[in-house]
Amino acid sequence: MATATIIGRDTRVHARVSGAGDIEVQGHLEGELTVGGEARIESTATVAADVRARRIVVRGAVKGDLSADESILLEDGARVVGDVRAPRVAIAPGGLVRGYVETQAAGAKPASRAVTPARRVDGVRAVPPAPKSKPAVVHVAAKHAAPKGRGITLAGGKAPPPVVPVLKKGTKAALTKRR
Amino acid sequence: MASTVIGANITIEGEVIADEDVVVQGTIRGKLSAKEGVTVESGAVVEADVSGGPMTVAGQVTGNVTSTDRVELQSGARVVGNVKAARITIADGAHFKGNVDMDV
Repeated sequence: MATATIIGRDTRVHARVSGAGDIEVQGHLEGELTVGGEARIESTATVAADVRARRIVVRGAVKGDLSADESILLEDGARVVGDVRAPRVAIAPGGLVRGYVETQAAGAKPASRAVTPARRVDGVRAVPPAPKSKPAVVHVAAKHAAPKGRGITLAGGKAPPPVVPVLKKGTKAALTKRR
Repeated sequence: MASTVIGANITIEGEVIADEDVVVQGTIRGKLSAKEGVTVESGAVVEADVSGGPMTVAGQVTGNVTSTDRVELQSGARVVGNVKAARITIADGAHFKGNVDMDV
């Protein structure tokens, strides 16, 4: 098991943090966070950084984009301002997000929803199967058409409607109206 | 007691400011300042000015070390830089190159 890395709650880090293994942030991190294992942003943490990891669990505040190779779990208390991308994204009741959320992100293992539009594009041009980065282009093009909250599942895969609607940037007014 | 641990596979390039203990097993480049103790474990690489309370070094430190308390260089430690502290101990087998400044 890789050694646990902890940024304690009374610690401030202004840095690029990278490496294999897991990291737990309880304090303040500003810069960039890239780890090969799991990144846990605890409830006392304030993170102003793009976070990349295999798995990301958030219970605290993050300003920056989250992207994970496996999954992102936004627990109760999570406050995220930024984009969230991972093959599996779960937002638990009490998790708050403002930003673009995409499941089955590019670079993930192929899944039916991600692959279908990509093939269509490829078929028109008769190009061989797209490299992994290609679906990303399709996703970006399609993202404006995607309905709000699409692709979001709660932990466990059951589908009670999300308590917290996921917003695209600049839709705060719409939320206020709905409430 | 809460503390900060920089694990063996982790590299931090920048500044770490802690009001608590810091244990370094990985790599820090930049600056490390703690209010409490600093432990640089065997295998750790610190290319930074380090300041804090009691310090124990068993790994590699390149940079100036300032402590309000004691600095202990254990066997196997490699330190290049100036050390300023109230008390300093250098164990047999520790490598050290730099000035020592103690309250004489």
